[in-house]
Amino acid sequence: MLFTDRSIWTMVHGIALSGAALMALSAALFALRTMGTVGGAPFATAAQSRALAGLTVFIAVTLWLSVVVGTFVIFPLYRATPPAGATELAAYPRALLLRDPQTAWLHAFAMEIKEHVPWITAMLATAAAFVGVRYRSQLLTDASLRRLTTTLLAICFVLASVVGVLGILVNKVAPLQ
Amino acid sequence: MASAPASSAARADHQGIPNGAALAAVLAAGVGSFAMGLFVVLNEAGLFAAPALYAPAGGLSGRAILACVTWLIAWAILHARWKSRQVESRAVLLATLVLTGLGLLGTFPPLWELF
Repeated sequence: MLFTDRSIWTMVHGIALSGAALMALSAALFALRTMGTVGGAPFATAAQSRALAGLTVFIAVTLWLSVVVGTFVIFPLYRATPPAGATELAAYPRALLLRDPQTAWLHAFAMEIKEHVPWITAMLATAAAFVGVRYRSQLLTDASLRRLTTTLLAICFVLASVVGVLGILVNKVAPLQ
Repeated sequence: MASAPASSAARADHQGIPNGAALAAVLAAGVGSFAMGLFVVLNEAGLFAAPALYAPAGGLSGRAILACVTWLIAWAILHARWKSRQVESRAVLLATLVLTGLGLLGTFPPLWELF
């Protein structure tokens, strides 16, 4: 088999869901930056405002799905305890990382951050989605709401990017296979 | 924070739906972020270990779900109080950034070395 169930889950989590969220975050930030008012007059159409609201919802949904899959599907596989005396640890990523002092930091630092920060990211993205939907007709014309949403999504983008890079590092050394 | 006054400037700028519901959602996200960091710090300091609500994921499942419950309760309370009001957004955004920053700090492993 080319890919195992475990590696497919990893790809769903890291590439499909988190990757989609990052692309959508880029698009939403670009839209908020470029589709505001021009000279005090509304620039965006109602359809564009609806699309932006939909984009913020898409971001929140993909981030939550990524968090849930990461925590309840992938993390248990990652932290599984190997049988006593096992020397082949490829199927036990945490044990594999901790066995070598040079890679132990990938668990103690990278994975610990990956466990918690995505939940914060998802909460912030949900707030942005709520603002996007409830205030969709005002979002692009009200500077205060636009600044608020842009700030939240920019934080989400930075956090998701950092967590994504840490995930790549962990998966490079101790992939779920 | 729940009694943040509606400023005259904010009222003057307001042309649509009052912004209270938006700011309630934003501040609640900050509260949820802070809660996540707090539960992590309490766990690392050995003061409070959240129960493993899903055993295969260990204590993470308890910490995450408790943080989410805190976030949703804060959101419900703030939404009920602010939904019809125009609220000064800068102070709320600042409070959210501080709470989120503290939450992130709590999840930063080098900090745990202090305990």
